[in-house]
Amino acid sequence: MIQKKICMLGSFAVGKTSLVSRFVDNMFSDKYLTTIGVKIDKKVITLQQQDLTLVIWDIAGENGFHQIHGTYLRGMSGYILVADKTRASTLDTVVSIKKTVGQAFHDTPCVLLMNKMDLAGQWDVQESTIDKLSEEGWDVFRTSAKTGQNVEEAFNRLAIKMLEK
Amino acid sequence: MHSPDELNSLRTLILAPEQLEIGELKERLDDPEIRAEELSRIIAEAIVIRASRDRKLATALLPTIEEIIRDSVKRDPKFLADSIFPIIGPAIRRSIAESLRAMLESMSSTLEHTFSWRGIKWRIESFRTGKPFAEIVLMHTLVYRMEQLFLIHKETGLVLQHAAAESVDLKDADMVSAMLTAIQDFVNDSFSAKEDSSLQNLNLGELTIWIEQSPRTILASVIRGNPPQELKTALKESLENVEFEYNSALNSFNGDAAPFEQVKPDLMYCLSQAQKTDGKGTRVTSMPATIAKPKKVGKKDNPILFIYIAAALCIAIIVVGYIFSTW
Repeated sequence: MIQKKICMLGSFAVGKTSLVSRFVDNMFSDKYLTTIGVKIDKKVITLQQQDLTLVIWDIAGENGFHQIHGTYLRGMSGYILVADKTRASTLDTVVSIKKTVGQAFHDTPCVLLMNKMDLAGQWDVQESTIDKLSEEGWDVFRTSAKTGQNVEEAFNRLAIKMLEK
Repeated sequence: MHSPDELNSLRTLILAPEQLEIGELKERLDDPEIRAEELSRIIAEAIVIRASRDRKLATALLPTIEEIIRDSVKRDPKFLADSIFPIIGPAIRRSIAESLRAMLESMSSTLEHTFSWRGIKWRIESFRTGKPFAEIVLMHTLVYRMEQLFLIHKETGLVLQHAAAESVDLKDADMVSAMLTAIQDFVNDSFSAKEDSSLQNLNLGELTIWIEQSPRTILASVIRGNPPQELKTALKESLENVEFEYNSALNSFNGDAAPFEQVKPDLMYCLSQAQKTDGKGTRVTSMPATIAKPKKVGKKDNPILFIYIAAALCIAIIVVGYIFSTW
């Protein structure tokens, strides 16, 4: 079976861990995020009649790439950027992370998850901003860890991109 | 000016021997019969040379040989049965002798643990703590036991191969491997260790985790008890062998651990353990088959119960006989 390491990146409290929890069976508790800054989860998916194990490194959210343990990204085959639809600043952080990570990991597939879509009344990020990112080539998914909206689809999309690479 | 005929004559004059040689070489390369004939002269030597270098030839031939044996058995089972007949008898005799020896050893050990003062103490401890007797015996006699081995791809933290002794409480090897790698990264980052330095030991109560590193792989071994240093050397050598034998597979690793299936038997062999043997030293055993299995050892307790019951019956018969004789 093929295994791929993927990383979850984004600011603090954007819902990375909730998205992962929605998608995988957990083994380690969330306390690892506050202690060593990363938590490992795993999900086996079947794509194109082929089983694929995603080993997901849920990296603790900080307010910029420089505060992330860079070594945790080593050897990743893809990454998921997560922003909070109710906090526009988290999208700025994601853009900054993408720029920095993109320099170190050329052509590594990634998707952007615009999370907390269920909190419609509190949206802070304009739809036009998201559409603009899509036009620029970003793979954007509007997700909700609470309802599960587009979560599987986003992980599957990243998996396909990694296999196609 | 020279005419074309003159040039051709000149070319033939100068290059005739080379052209003849090229023609012969071309014929040899194009003719499958000649190539087969030539290959047949060196193929045996080539196989010997390649087989002495690495295991790739064996790996490549294995599926074909398995297929051939399967087809042969399907077509005529008698042929294979006749072929292996001379070795079946000795193999069965050896297996029975080995089983009897293990049974006698186990019975001897059981009797010793049952009737000695120490054995009685362990029984009481087992009763008091609610743990199986076999586990208490193992706890008191175990010097060390290699419980799990993780062969990890260094860069990605993905598990290449995992081996575990039976009866060990297993967690997901993929996640454990990744977490071990993360912990290592965390320690290196947090304490600004030099690039070539790495976390080598983790201790947790009775458990020790040894982490051996090579340029592209990590071998993490989970050991209960006090392992000897020689074991570390053996693990280092195993890791070096993996680096050497799987050089190309490691270079082209893309997440597919299938090429490392062949490492598993070697890892299983490393799952050794050592037990104290009542002042007679230490007995080291390797191979998973010899690793203690508490549940099965529990079954071996049945003869003890039988002995208890038999002894109680004998005492009862003697007492009843004595009472009757005094009447």
